[in-house]
Amino acid sequence: MELGPLPQLLVSGVLAGFVFALIAMGLTLIFGVMDVVNFAHGEFLMIAMYLTLGFSLVGLQPVLALPFVALALFLFGAFVYRIFVRRLLEGPPEASIFGTFGLLVLLQGLAQFFFTSDVRSVNNAWFTGAVRLGPIRIGEPELVAALGALVVAIVLYVFIEYTETGRGMRATSEDRIAATLMGIDVQRMNALAWGIGSACVGAAGALLMLTYQVYPRVGAEFALTAFVVVALGGFGSIQGAFVGAILVGLVEVLGGFYISPAVKLIPVYLLYLIVVLLRPQGLLGRR
Amino acid sequence: MRSGLVILLVTCVAVAAFALIVQNPFLLDLTFAALLYAVLGQAWNWVSGYAGQVSFGHALFFGCGAYGAALANWHHFSPWLGIASGIVAAAAIALAVGFPCFALRGHYFSIATIAVAAIGEIYVKNADWLNGAVGIEFKLASAGLGSLQFTSKLPWVFLALAVFALVQLATIALENSRMGYYLRAIRANQDAAASVGVDARAWELRALIASAAATALAGSLYAQYTLVVEPESILALPISISIALVGVVGGLGQLWGPALGALTYAFLAKYVAAQLGGSGRGLDLVIYGGLICLIAALRPSGIAGYVRELFARRRLAG
Amino acid sequence: MKRLIAALGAALLLATAGPVASVQAADKEIVIGSILPLTGTFAQTGALLKAGQELARDLINGHVSYPVTMAGSDGIPSLGHAKIKLIFADSQGRPDQAATVAEQLITQDHVVAILGSYTSATTQTASLRAEQYKIPFLNPDSSNPQLTERGLHWFFRISPHDGTFTENMFQFMADLKKAKNWNPKRIALVHEDTLFGKGFGDVTEEIAKREGYTIATHVAYPANTSEVQSEVQKVKASNPDVIFIASYLSDSLLYMKTFKQQGVDIPIIAQDAGFVDPGFIAGLGKDANYMFTRDTYALNIKQRNLGVPLINELYKQRSGGKNLDGNVARDFTAVTVIADAINRAKSTQPEAIRAALAATNIDGKRTVMPWKGIKFNDHGQNTEGAGLILQIQDGQYQTVWPGFVASKPPIFPIPAWDKR
Repeated sequence: MELGPLPQLLVSGVLAGFVFALIAMGLTLIFGVMDVVNFAHGEFLMIAMYLTLGFSLVGLQPVLALPFVALALFLFGAFVYRIFVRRLLEGPPEASIFGTFGLLVLLQGLAQFFFTSDVRSVNNAWFTGAVRLGPIRIGEPELVAALGALVVAIVLYVFIEYTETGRGMRATSEDRIAATLMGIDVQRMNALAWGIGSACVGAAGALLMLTYQVYPRVGAEFALTAFVVVALGGFGSIQGAFVGAILVGLVEVLGGFYISPAVKLIPVYLLYLIVVLLRPQGLLGRR
Repeated sequence: MRSGLVILLVTCVAVAAFALIVQNPFLLDLTFAALLYAVLGQAWNWVSGYAGQVSFGHALFFGCGAYGAALANWHHFSPWLGIASGIVAAAAIALAVGFPCFALRGHYFSIATIAVAAIGEIYVKNADWLNGAVGIEFKLASAGLGSLQFTSKLPWVFLALAVFALVQLATIALENSRMGYYLRAIRANQDAAASVGVDARAWELRALIASAAATALAGSLYAQYTLVVEPESILALPISISIALVGVVGGLGQLWGPALGALTYAFLAKYVAAQLGGSGRGLDLVIYGGLICLIAALRPSGIAGYVRELFARRRLAG
Repeated sequence: MKRLIAALGAALLLATAGPVASVQAADKEIVIGSILPLTGTFAQTGALLKAGQELARDLINGHVSYPVTMAGSDGIPSLGHAKIKLIFADSQGRPDQAATVAEQLITQDHVVAILGSYTSATTQTASLRAEQYKIPFLNPDSSNPQLTERGLHWFFRISPHDGTFTENMFQFMADLKKAKNWNPKRIALVHEDTLFGKGFGDVTEEIAKREGYTIATHVAYPANTSEVQSEVQKVKASNPDVIFIASYLSDSLLYMKTFKQQGVDIPIIAQDAGFVDPGFIAGLGKDANYMFTRDTYALNIKQRNLGVPLINELYKQRSGGKNLDGNVARDFTAVTVIADAINRAKSTQPEAIRAALAATNIDGKRTVMPWKGIKFNDHGQNTEGAGLILQIQDGQYQTVWPGFVASKPPIFPIPAWDKR
């Protein structure tokens, strides 16, 4: 049977999905713990990408810079929670929506101020070729990025499921009041969730610099997809975000090829609408 | 209710007097933009403030109005016919989209509005009958109400002022109607409202249809004013977001919120950007973003809420 | 003022034998409006365009002679050496704002003509206002073909538009066919889906049909995309002989990386934008080599006007060291064209200036552009302009077409990815 480019498209779609997954997992973690959608998530990604670029300018490859970028973003996320998001939680629910929107505009403006709107990329000497598997070609940078995403996802999953702190976080996301009564420090859990969620996006930023380029508005290209992925998988569900991301990657690439690239995002949005209309809590979300 | 009407009358007279005195196109343009955004913010407020369903897809309705006017011009019909059909189209889309989507709550609803508006944008970019990504440029006609084209900005300010007054009156009526109470009840607690027999979906749908119609009207005014429609500047996500920000910076679910938000937005976007943006380095974004952050953290009830607090405090002190 | 003095001083130093006349006080000024995106997304470009226009103004108002129309004429000779004054207005890159400032320039500043305004969308709205008020509007640099097809009476455009530029790409391909015994039949057409890309796509389809090529696949893709896998697979599956592509910088990099990854080594002819951005070579390194791209301008050409390097030096003092580029060179030229028209009109009446503009006939050797000249047709379009084709060779843009200005011959056929 003649498969044509189908195997290649499937592989490309899944690889694209891995990077979406990494961005989306951070977002969904923050949401799960405190019901806040961080609309500035894309701008956190942008900061991570600029940091990675900075490391590359002093000679550190993105793959090696990843832990440092993730750590820096962890601190940044926790800091933003402590000085800003904490106050938003005291207000009405819309305060957190618009507060994080304000943060989006502010961070974009600051990036434009300090880095100008030029498009910059890392000249990564390490991974440039392509791996061939029969008729399928996989770019080395894409492969490394996908593997990195997988490793980070596994680490995150193990942390949430099997550590004391992870269990505390899950307890907080299930019932905040009960968690407080059990002696869990909710403020600390929230700050930790912001830190870890931001560290995820930090790792994603470092890996993305292997294949992509950075400019002040780069966040928008990924954030919108990440929101759809998170909602599709179910807000707060890490496994949901992973499954949702792979699905979105596949639908985008297959839809682009078999329908038309001009409308390749329509199947993605339709997929979301159909899923939530049938299951208003998303694929793996809780009611 | 009476104080709302008095403030509205005073505002309208003040704006009209200001427009007649200044004569400067730049300031008139700023006034027009502020009024237009006040209308958009208020229409959005009906659904997202009073009914509490946050929409990030209002650019779609804005686009219906703008494209309605543009199509009428393209095919040599009266602009008024174009405006009317734009409003009808927006209301029809609101009905078709709102009915299933109001089954969703919270963020799921908001993301759904983004998805629907994005599908609309992609469709228009690829639709030949709307001239796709290239958009439609109006053919010039002799100035007048018949062609809805003017060589001066003054008639535009008055038209926008009239629509603004209309929308404010509708909001005053809403606040004092059964619908207003129901919407607030739904926003406060949907399950409780349902248990006393309030059909949330039906009321939300009515609010959305009215909101879509008013947004479309503003969209067609904007199109007639700039004489060009094109998907990027009419239908893209940032348009939806700036409409929402106007609503929230001013204060959600409050009569004067959108107007105050619009004034702030128009001032920042048109004036501060012109003064500070000269470097092209995003200082205007920094100020606007910083301001939204401050309002969200310190005055989550918006500018209108803050003004009201000030008055209440003075009354207490007095 | 300081800059002006510095520039004129430098001009005196550089020009070996400039006639130095006594400085007269300007008793009359001719006010011309200029709409530019001085803030917003295009602010950096806007600032450079402003510097280019100011340089042209200062050369016209000055006494030092350069081989450029009106330079060194001490203002407008036919109007008692009245000086040119430019009033700059900020479009913020937004169509509605451009219309507003156009109105303001006309009604408040009483300008006799308007230059502007870089992006096609702002030019569209601003020129409609000029039409309403019957003021000449001279556009240096917007490339949407539709702009001169609107039946406007007061609108003129110096730059060739995307239709002409695309014709140039086909002419280059025809020349390459003859010289290199190459026989392309199937074109893969790839472009982003906003105004710029869509316009390019339509024109290319039309010309390809006329010239007997087959469009193997027509891929329009969303400009703000994060991956182009399905797009590249479509190109690959259509088995083309050549790829025509229009992209902005971010997506152009994405395409090059994905083409390489998928082993697509078909010759690529690009429509400027991302492919001529300084970030293109910076982002790709040696993977950028052998690309062909259309451009408006290059300093790396066989210069026909020997004043260009000198003017470039003057410009660099105002641009923070940046060289003249296609946008700035066209905006510089626009100021000389309007000054030339006013001089011939011998009047500041809009109708007289319009008539003089319509009768413009400037030899290309008297401009900084690589053109045959400047002459407007009934639509207000300059018919004597053309684009260049550049090829990236050894990490440098080289002009390879048209032959009379080429700095290097094209390298063709291009090597496979693993041999680059």
